[in-house]
Amino acid sequence: MKNIDEIEAVKSLARVAPGGQGGDPADAEARALLAAITSEEPGTVTRIRRYAPRRLALGLTAAVALTTGAMVGLNGFGASSSWAVTKAADGTVTIQVRDFRDAAGLEKRLKDLDVPAVVDYVPWGQQCRQPRGKHVTSIPHGLYSVPENIPGEKHGWQMRIDTKRFRAGQTFVWTISAPESGQGSSSTTYLMEGPVAPCVPAPASAPGEAGAEFRNATLKGRSLEGFRVDEKTVGEVLPELRERGRKVIFLIMAVPPGNPGGFGEERTQEEPVGDDWIVWEAEENAKGVIRLLVTEERYDDNPVYGGPREAVVTE
Amino acid sequence: MGPPADNERLVRFEAVYNRAYGQITAYAARRCDSPQDAADVVAETFTTAWRRVDELPEGEEATLWLYGVARKILANHYRGDNRRRTRRTELDAKMADLYGDSPDSKVELGAIGQVFRTLSDEDRELLSLVAWEGLDREEIATALGVSRNAVRIRLHRARRRFSRALAEAEVHFTSESRLIPTERPL
Repeated sequence: MKNIDEIEAVKSLARVAPGGQGGDPADAEARALLAAITSEEPGTVTRIRRYAPRRLALGLTAAVALTTGAMVGLNGFGASSSWAVTKAADGTVTIQVRDFRDAAGLEKRLKDLDVPAVVDYVPWGQQCRQPRGKHVTSIPHGLYSVPENIPGEKHGWQMRIDTKRFRAGQTFVWTISAPESGQGSSSTTYLMEGPVAPCVPAPASAPGEAGAEFRNATLKGRSLEGFRVDEKTVGEVLPELRERGRKVIFLIMAVPPGNPGGFGEERTQEEPVGDDWIVWEAEENAKGVIRLLVTEERYDDNPVYGGPREAVVTE
Repeated sequence: MGPPADNERLVRFEAVYNRAYGQITAYAARRCDSPQDAADVVAETFTTAWRRVDELPEGEEATLWLYGVARKILANHYRGDNRRRTRRTELDAKMADLYGDSPDSKVELGAIGQVFRTLSDEDRELLSLVAWEGLDREEIATALGVSRNAVRIRLHRARRRFSRALAEAEVHFTSESRLIPTERPL
């Protein structure tokens, strides 16, 4: 039997003839559906991106070894080398952050280069109390890149912002943090519109805190204790979770080039991803919903931990 | 967010909608057992596309992207953990026409259809994308978000499994008998 025959056999089963159209977009029901769909705001999926290297390793010592202090003021140009902000002729601003304490200087430099920004430094383990303003839910395409590593350097991160894509009244809101030990760092980025309230530091675990709603579900004492999901495929993990009756949502991770450790949030969705996607960790919220951190591609290192989970989680 | 950007999104989305509507409704009708399910898949697919309008590819690729979205929604549907979220009676009725016109029940009772249903979901989808939507390997790779090589291998295996299953069921099907004996209007 030749190959073509199986395809012909399948063709014979088509309810709507192969190559044929189902409905006509000019028909009344098609217009009604279009109107119903577009009556809602587009981009209502959460698209807040967050970058927090080893963010599940908060408080653990095995995180990024960031050299603090030593680099400040070394370049002799009056700018602190704990950060560098440059603007290209095309309006693209590149921000490099190596240390996180000079928030005021960074904010001023950004404003000077037409990036409306509010930058706050908070003690490690804390975040600014939310809400501070209205989040922009539909982020202009190409406004900013996911933070990535600084070429040739082990620590810090850089990101690009296209200042031409800002809309009036929008503000970048950064909250940056690093522990006293100088090991590890965390940056949270939001795009807000309208007034932004001053930062009131609060423990990151406080209820209602952005980003604190979900926590690692596979640690000791959590609901998935003993069930390792990291580096498995979605197809391997889902049956077990469903058997346990868990509602599952997916956080699509945005991994910076070179996978230096850490990730952004591209979006969170209920719609399942492919069974061949890779799970890097599972989180849970107070309602028992499981959020799988997933990527379509497999990486050598777990982006959540910047290496194997064992290197960070020791229990 | 300013009105021009909103308007630009709407224009872009509507262009994709108009172009892909016939194909997505056909896609859903070919795969769903009931017109209500098909209407749901159509509505949810385009709703998802609107939510993610900034990611919507240009041109022909938009349709492939929508197939990929529809595929996931369909998979979710049949997992049975997803209650109907949308009820659009107008669309339900229109989709029912597609079901009413076709010799569907006879086809489904046919031996080929029975064998086809024994295949895995993935095998069926690959064979269907080739046979029903007329996609080539590259297009399937784009729609499903996998490599072309993976498509080639999986498709080869799907064909072999289908062929074997047909043989086991003693359904002999050759290209000469391609107009199978159901009163299907061609």
